[in-house]
Amino acid sequence: MTQPMNSTKSSELARIAAEAAGTHFSSVEFTLTHGPADAPLPESIVDPDKEDPNGWPTDFCYFSAAGLSMSMSTWPSVMSAFSGRVQIGPAEQTGHGDTYSYFGHAVPNPGFLNQSTRKVEVLITLGTAHWSPTYREALMQALVIEKLTALAAERDAPVLHLHTPVAPVPLSIKSERGDGSNERLRDAIAPCLRFSIGVDPQMSESRLDFETELAALAEEYGFGLKLNDQRFNRVRGEWFTIRGFDRERYRQARNQLFPAAPASIPKRAVIASVIGPSRTGTTAAAVAALRERGIGVLAASISSMRKTTFINLVLPVTAEVKETPPQWSGGWLDALPRLSACAGHQLEVADQPLIADWKVAVSPAMRCSYPPSSRQTGATFTGKVPYPIWLWWQLPHRTVDTPTLLAEVQAALQPHARRCDIAYAQSRLCRGDVVRGRAKLVVVLSQEHRDHTVVQRLLADATEAAQLRIRERLPALGQVDPSKIRLRLSPRERWLTYADISA
Amino acid sequence: MTVHLRGHSTVVERSGDGALDHLRTMIRALPVPTAPLSFPSRDAALGLALMDLSFRLDHLPRLSEHLTLMDRGHMSRTISVDVDLDEISGRLGETLLVPGGTALWVPVSRYSRRDLAPVVIRDSNGDVVPRLSHRDANRVTAAAFVKLLFMLINAHDDVADPTGPIHQLRHTHQRSRWLIEAAITELIMVGAPAGQRLHTPLDHAAGLRNSHSVRDLALDGLDALFPVGADDQAVPFARLLQLAVRQYVLVAQLGRDRPRRFLTWEAPLLPAQHRPAPLRNLAKNVLPVNREFVVEYETEIPRSVKAYHLTLEVRQEISVRRFVMSSNVDEEFVEVLAQDLESVARRADRLGGHHKLLELEMQGIASRLAELGHRRLVDLAGYEAYLARLPIPVGPESAPPPARLTADEVLTALSAGNCSLDVLAAFCAHYAADGLQHLAKSGLPGPALRNIAAGLRAAQAGRDITTDNDPREHGAHAHWRRPPVELSPQSTEPVRVFAFMALADEAPALIESITRMVAGLALVVLGIGTLLSGGISWLYSPAIPEGFVPDQADAVVAVLLLVPGLLLARLDLPSTKSVLGQLHKFQRTLAAASVVVTTALAIVVGTVDSDREMTRLFQLALGVLIVILICCLCEFYARRIHRSCPVPRSSRVPRWLRDARRSTRPVVEPDDFFDARGEG
Repeated sequence: MTQPMNSTKSSELARIAAEAAGTHFSSVEFTLTHGPADAPLPESIVDPDKEDPNGWPTDFCYFSAAGLSMSMSTWPSVMSAFSGRVQIGPAEQTGHGDTYSYFGHAVPNPGFLNQSTRKVEVLITLGTAHWSPTYREALMQALVIEKLTALAAERDAPVLHLHTPVAPVPLSIKSERGDGSNERLRDAIAPCLRFSIGVDPQMSESRLDFETELAALAEEYGFGLKLNDQRFNRVRGEWFTIRGFDRERYRQARNQLFPAAPASIPKRAVIASVIGPSRTGTTAAAVAALRERGIGVLAASISSMRKTTFINLVLPVTAEVKETPPQWSGGWLDALPRLSACAGHQLEVADQPLIADWKVAVSPAMRCSYPPSSRQTGATFTGKVPYPIWLWWQLPHRTVDTPTLLAEVQAALQPHARRCDIAYAQSRLCRGDVVRGRAKLVVVLSQEHRDHTVVQRLLADATEAAQLRIRERLPALGQVDPSKIRLRLSPRERWLTYADISA
Repeated sequence: MTVHLRGHSTVVERSGDGALDHLRTMIRALPVPTAPLSFPSRDAALGLALMDLSFRLDHLPRLSEHLTLMDRGHMSRTISVDVDLDEISGRLGETLLVPGGTALWVPVSRYSRRDLAPVVIRDSNGDVVPRLSHRDANRVTAAAFVKLLFMLINAHDDVADPTGPIHQLRHTHQRSRWLIEAAITELIMVGAPAGQRLHTPLDHAAGLRNSHSVRDLALDGLDALFPVGADDQAVPFARLLQLAVRQYVLVAQLGRDRPRRFLTWEAPLLPAQHRPAPLRNLAKNVLPVNREFVVEYETEIPRSVKAYHLTLEVRQEISVRRFVMSSNVDEEFVEVLAQDLESVARRADRLGGHHKLLELEMQGIASRLAELGHRRLVDLAGYEAYLARLPIPVGPESAPPPARLTADEVLTALSAGNCSLDVLAAFCAHYAADGLQHLAKSGLPGPALRNIAAGLRAAQAGRDITTDNDPREHGAHAHWRRPPVELSPQSTEPVRVFAFMALADEAPALIESITRMVAGLALVVLGIGTLLSGGISWLYSPAIPEGFVPDQADAVVAVLLLVPGLLLARLDLPSTKSVLGQLHKFQRTLAAASVVVTTALAIVVGTVDSDREMTRLFQLALGVLIVILICCLCEFYARRIHRSCPVPRSSRVPRWLRDARRSTRPVVEPDDFFDARGEG
């Protein structure tokens, strides 16, 4: 038997190297913006007059939670010589008072091959109530993230993405229709964590071990565990429940592990972005170092772009700490004391050599806000419930950049929605010179309804109308051939996949 | 010269001839450079872009190969490709730009370094398309590897550790890095065919100093970058280097103004890989088995190709009796599935504690098994349709009725390792009808899964079947399409394609003429004997008829010499080197034997004057002619058996197809095997 992955891995290496070593480029340039969630999306740096083809970012990522947002974009850079693997510094102010931007370079790591891996996606439920995490829950969440990512790191499996909080998945009821058209509407945000790891398909044993230990962990701490449905022809957004959420056990474990942590909700938080060349085990190392210093994680967004990992953590600031330092960036080891100061502790803990060469960008403390309502809290009676809407798109590169597209989507949903926020968005430059992306929007419908079917119809109408409007607007916006635009908005995640794109 | 062992799917690597071993040998043999090799960064970028594109070739939506069997042992190939330059992304496109123009350097194929015949690429107008010279292609490839090595060193975890070899290579001890770079360049420029140990001047010298600090650091650095002990093939860099030293890239210059192009070229002539089987060959040549000439062809096509056409053309006198193509497009999927099955089997106890986890695994496995069953069933239907439209029907007993199985029967059969198509298809039906919802509770988890894995591998369920759709008898065409849903979506492993071709002499065949001739000669001998003896009693009566010796022997001799000569001249006997010559070898012997008999009889008539001897010799001659006639009839019978054989008896035809058609006859070696995979 041949070793089937050989050629796959080597051609992936060739692809990465070829992309990294374009005629003029040898590194990845990135920008990073921290700010409040209601700040406008970072504007594109593309100057349409200059027509510089390399001014278009290749990747873009945005995440917002607890009223704070972080966005990253990358593009190829000519800069080749700088010390270390990553370089970061504050960027010039863009004009918005509350946003903090950083600018940096990273050396891509061609040894980090993960395109040929099989994705295992996990959805962890850490509560069924509405999302308003306390300091104690933030610590518990940090512990869970650390344990989960450590499980992956033990098996050399890279974490492909990790987000918390995310939309929960309603328990399915047998009599429901298989296409999901009658399933309960999802909440936009709940105390849930979603992450995916890449496993070599040849190493099914390590995948099974990972899943078994994950289930054992879920049993130990009482959190709910769902895995992506691995059946053939099942797409993203279809889940298989392994364990339900065990409220009592979870509460016990949390109170036992963190008896001293206050059960109040943090009012302020800092955003810390840890950036470095992609490797396995880095998330576990970073979160473990923070937790050892008594710092919990309120929200997290971890993603890899161009073989550079961005670990964005929203860290709660203790109420006693009144003054927090201004915007800062520097090495990981220098950042730890600053972050400890936010938590009000000054513990001396051994350093983490794994990510010693990584860089950190820390924002000043910012005010947090939490979604006022969800279906579970009984807000259905007011009708002002935030609902999630998913977006998938594919556009030719260098036509419409992602922030512009997202703004367009928000505008298109405006007639139907009282509010429309972007919870998450990510786009990548893929083979064939197309940009593919996914996003989750949170909308509060302008018409208030309690009836489930009516709301469902309203959402379906809103997304269809918005989809049409965006498709009409995009060609004018970026001189893009209408036949090459592919875009879909749907209130259900699993309806996004086009027929010819296999999961 | 590569030795491809049959039954093995890879080139068998001897220890010590991996690409990294060659690199280490080269590091020991080359003088230490005192200055760096400098390649322009443009060359490195171009080399990397060419390497990337040449492995995937995803800008080639369609690939056609036209095979012509020149003679026994040589096959010529004409390759045509459709090129779509729009598939090449913008940044790669800029890198591939030919300086000072709008044209791009586009890789269109990879070739073995053994095949250094000139290749002329033409476009649809017949104009010759400029090519990148072999030397230039090697130069940019070397530049690409030097750059890639530098990138790997730069991104290595230990590059910041001042005591480690990686840091020293990068910052302080550059001569060692230059040495590695020089070794890579030398290796790529010179090439190192598979299966050979690298021959260096070191082999001729004795008493050399074993230790040299620059060399040692270079070797240590190489070990740190690519840890020793890991399989050479498993290191992506080593695999790339191996392909680069064994193959060269065919690069054409194409204008961007016409993004969709059609290119065609004559590939180097392909020699057959003869496998001497003297006894079998002898048996084929001296027994009345109505031999077929079986040719097998193997090649590799990029996985991203959407359509692949394979056409075959032979001389008009030869018929293509069977033409079947099989590809291993799903083999990786099946292998991963089998490994999953084995892992679950090993961990059934541990997983059993988490019931839902086991159920998820089992459902995942079931869905993939069902898809596999569905695909192979579609293939089988295509094959049945092919048999049905053959000009000479295969026979009424050919299609055994499918057994209908209940869900329990299916699970029992699978547990026993029976992965025949009947079982897989029934499994597919039950899965689609939601009849297999609680697999974790069934008896399947455990040793039964190991049996299924073994059964899947044994049935070669990952191979598909494509059949001939050319209505001509002396030509064949198979059209392979990439499955609509790729089962191993991330893979870029090339797809291996096997083609089986059985060439035969179909009606009006030579054997029919020879049978008529032999029958005619027998009648002539019978007639002369009857006329000489005045009755037919000489045939069976022990009594010797009077006057059997003819008075005018000259006339009889003339008839006995002239008639066979005239008949033989009417036969068009081909040369022995050609395929037709091989097909007709035994039949030619029959014709010659019958002429020898009549000639011998003519000599007898001219020299013998005893009635008794003459009678006996006439009886003998007639007997021999009848034996020859029986041989001819045997040939007809053997031809019938060959024609009605439902599945080719080849090891390259997937096992599931042979099982589905209940073919129990052993496989036979082909007469000629052509290997067009470029890894030599």
